[in-house]
Amino acid sequence: MTQTHKIVFIGEPGAGKTTCIAALSHVPPVSTDVACTDELAERKATTTVALDYGELHLGDQGRLLLYGLPGQSRFRFMFDVVREGLLGAVVLVDASSATAMEGLAETLDTYAPELGQLPCVLALNKDARAGEDLRQACLDLLRRHGLVAPAIVVDARRREDIIRMFDLLFMQLELGFDDTEAREANAWA
Amino acid sequence: MGVIVPPNRGQCDAALQHLVDSSDGIRAAMLALRDGRPFVERCRSQVDCGKFAAMVSSLVALGQTALRELGAGGLDHVLVEGREGKLVVSSIDGSGGLLLLAVLAERDARLGLVLGHAKTCAQAVSDAFPPAGRQA
Repeated sequence: MTQTHKIVFIGEPGAGKTTCIAALSHVPPVSTDVACTDELAERKATTTVALDYGELHLGDQGRLLLYGLPGQSRFRFMFDVVREGLLGAVVLVDASSATAMEGLAETLDTYAPELGQLPCVLALNKDARAGEDLRQACLDLLRRHGLVAPAIVVDARRREDIIRMFDLLFMQLELGFDDTEAREANAWA
Repeated sequence: MGVIVPPNRGQCDAALQHLVDSSDGIRAAMLALRDGRPFVERCRSQVDCGKFAAMVSSLVALGQTALRELGAGGLDHVLVEGREGKLVVSSIDGSGGLLLLAVLAERDARLGLVLGHAKTCAQAVSDAFPPAGRQA
């Protein structure tokens, strides 16, 4: 039987989740976008309200199922839909946005307990010149939520950048992902 | 997608109240915006309206996506039947996909009646849009 693995992309609206999946998927990606009705419409015409879905075929190693979840905290319940059998998570940040840190804070406030149990990579998207200050600020925010993860600058439209994120996820799995620190932090949260 | 012209909120309120009053078996009725935010609701019991509205928009989006992928046409309604209740969700005609109607009914409520009441309510909400604002 062909093996299947699952990866989830999370992050604020406009962080690049749908773009990531479209760039990677070997099948036409499935999206559930609708036109925005709130202030988000000023930045973005549409938003995902259920999930994005794509598949990456890995030859003999099976298939990687790619899920993108809505960025707004009101859709947190969608994580339960994809939770079973997740291999890891990619947290996307819109590094070009003046409110990048607020967006990441909402994502971590919403998903920190789940992220603490998974190998995780933080990807700064949409600004190839994103500086070390922003990267460090993101790492500090992760730490304050009891999370430890590598943070890299990517262009979500570039397949090779996304493969680099996956390499970092798989490296954590190969080295034996340890969620002790996150569990201890969450016990005191 | 054209400019969104909101419906008359008072008429929407009245339509939902009429729906909830029309049957003891209806526990909650909600109009949700397509991107998962509550617009108007009437509930007999405690319901987390923010989460309810988000789930309603996800259900409709997944239903539309599944039908599209399977070549089964547009969505008429979503029906979720559980052991303790049933949920019917439909899109409001003439709102350009802006509004979704969700009706949560008791387990024993007759499905035909719930669907009928929901359809009547949806028509009343559709009529609450100004004629110039009605969209396909």
